[in-house]
Amino acid sequence: MDKKKTERMAKPKRKAGNPYINYIVFGLIMLMLPILVEKEVIKYSYLTIVAGILIYSIVSLGLNFLIGYSGLVSLGTAGFMGLGAYLSAYLTINLKLPFEISLIISVAIPMVLGILTGLVSLRIEGYYLAIATLVISEILRKAFGEFTAVTNGFSGKSAGFPKLLNGKVLDRNSTYILIVVVLVIVIMITHNLINSYTGRALSTMRGSEAAAQAMGINIYRYRLLAFAVAVAFAALAGVLYVHFIKFSHPNTWTLLLSLNILAVIIIGGVRSIPGTILGAFIVFGIPDLVLKNLPVIGKIDGIPYIFTGVLIIVVILFYPAGLIHIWFNLKRAIFSLRKKGGNDSE
Amino acid sequence: MGIFIQILLNSLEIGGIYALAALGIILIYRTSNTQNYAQGTISMFNAFVATYIFAFLFNKENKFAWVAAILGMASALVVGMLVDRVVISRATKVHPVSKQIITLGLIMIFLGMAPMIFGTDPMPFPKFIYGSHTILGATISYSAILNILIGIVIMVVLFYMLQKSKWGLSVRATASNEVVARMMGIPTPLITMASWAIAAALGTLAAIMLAPATSVNLSMMDGVQVIALMACVLGGFQTFHGPVVAAYIIGFASNLITYYVSSVWSDSILYILILIVILFMPNGLFGKKVVKKV
Repeated sequence: MDKKKTERMAKPKRKAGNPYINYIVFGLIMLMLPILVEKEVIKYSYLTIVAGILIYSIVSLGLNFLIGYSGLVSLGTAGFMGLGAYLSAYLTINLKLPFEISLIISVAIPMVLGILTGLVSLRIEGYYLAIATLVISEILRKAFGEFTAVTNGFSGKSAGFPKLLNGKVLDRNSTYILIVVVLVIVIMITHNLINSYTGRALSTMRGSEAAAQAMGINIYRYRLLAFAVAVAFAALAGVLYVHFIKFSHPNTWTLLLSLNILAVIIIGGVRSIPGTILGAFIVFGIPDLVLKNLPVIGKIDGIPYIFTGVLIIVVILFYPAGLIHIWFNLKRAIFSLRKKGGNDSE
Repeated sequence: MGIFIQILLNSLEIGGIYALAALGIILIYRTSNTQNYAQGTISMFNAFVATYIFAFLFNKENKFAWVAAILGMASALVVGMLVDRVVISRATKVHPVSKQIITLGLIMIFLGMAPMIFGTDPMPFPKFIYGSHTILGATISYSAILNILIGIVIMVVLFYMLQKSKWGLSVRATASNEVVARMMGIPTPLITMASWAIAAALGTLAAIMLAPATSVNLSMMDGVQVIALMACVLGGFQTFHGPVVAAYIIGFASNLITYYVSSVWSDSILYILILIVILFMPNGLFGKKVVKKV
């Protein structure tokens, strides 16, 4: 009901098609997956992999907003994601809070920490944020290992499927549905942020910081906002992760995870929502679904890292807009070919 | 008194390791204009090369450890040149943020290659010399004295070269303005390549100095990399000597905190202290304010 309402409201903005419809259709396609698994068309384990990809898409959307629109890099994504995961696991298992309340708290606390980090590091040159978040992430990882009362240390913390306010406990498939719904909502929020006053202000900053300042845009405030959004999405994804995988270990939340999420954005396409989703499928999907099944290569350790690392560099050097634009470029190439062909026949 | 001297000597040793890594990062920053996040990973990779040479060419005979170390540094020179030739030199026109991300991609490549070539098991690397000596109640191993001396000698030689040699002049010219430097006939691509090679070799030396204490493994340089970056931030990215001095300060502070406050949380406390210092001195301890022109 709500979705329909927003659709109608957004309609006058664009002439050709409503972007929301694409997102909802994408969500509906993703919802087909549990049915396919039950019909045994797809392997049971693929649902976990795809759910992981969708969760990482949520994080990547937040980081894409930060990198794409404010040009700042955060290397602490994994730390904030882990913080959200551990908090939610602790709140639901040890304090027996329902999922909704735990979700709000576990997103709010990392956000406050993120804003504090941003307050310190965003005053200075942009690249300090990368180093400051790297440091915060290291401190958090240390805390995940040492605060055994909350995190259960290196034996890892277990959590259950979400238990809702009305006492209902979700199962694997309904948690998957929850993830898809949250992802679609997050996509819509990102879409609205980009097309709102905030998004336009950030776009101006990207063009020229001096010009933006001269127009009365408070650079510091918008950078902080973009960073807070990135942290909030990361924590949200962490919460979903811990309730779907039902386990969290300090070694999950390393710099490598942050790098993978960065790779998602670069490979898929900066400032592009479909690009982010495509990137998540490439970075987190291809190693698990394709590379592992190849005869010789699949057995070698470290292939996924090399695959992602090489792809990052190749995309930056030769295809800086991201792989999502291949589709448009192909279409253009085909069209121009057709035109040429038409001219020849005339 | 004995304890304090002990802390001071330990700090000089560990500070030297941090300073070598930080010097590599700052050398690359000044010539290629990017923070090199892959410094630690490249060093780790070449430390593995040195360990392999030591284990299979010299049959783990301790007297040849220094030959293996030098060969490891030579391989680092080659790896540094390759990285610059194959990747960085092609990326002159990309956005600075993208350049940083390229170095992050390099981390993944080296971290993927290391277990493929060398396996995942940690490997031991010996000290260059064994034995220890007691001064004023503080025990110091000969290996620590050697490490301190190597660190200081290399630093002095490099700074002398930077100030007095033609190479140093070229590096400083490239650092101050690459376009004008090229117009003046300085082969800037060559200078950048040399910086990458030297940085990789310095990092590898740091890794090999650290290796007897930690063993050679995939994550051995993670902590050093973070602290070296922090040293660059604390010292300021605008000078060559700032990060080196900051690295020694950090080494000293880290040992003090470990001894007097907490050994588990020493790194975390240190990081937070540095972040607070940067809040009040945004350009670092030795940095100059950069004036942006529109």
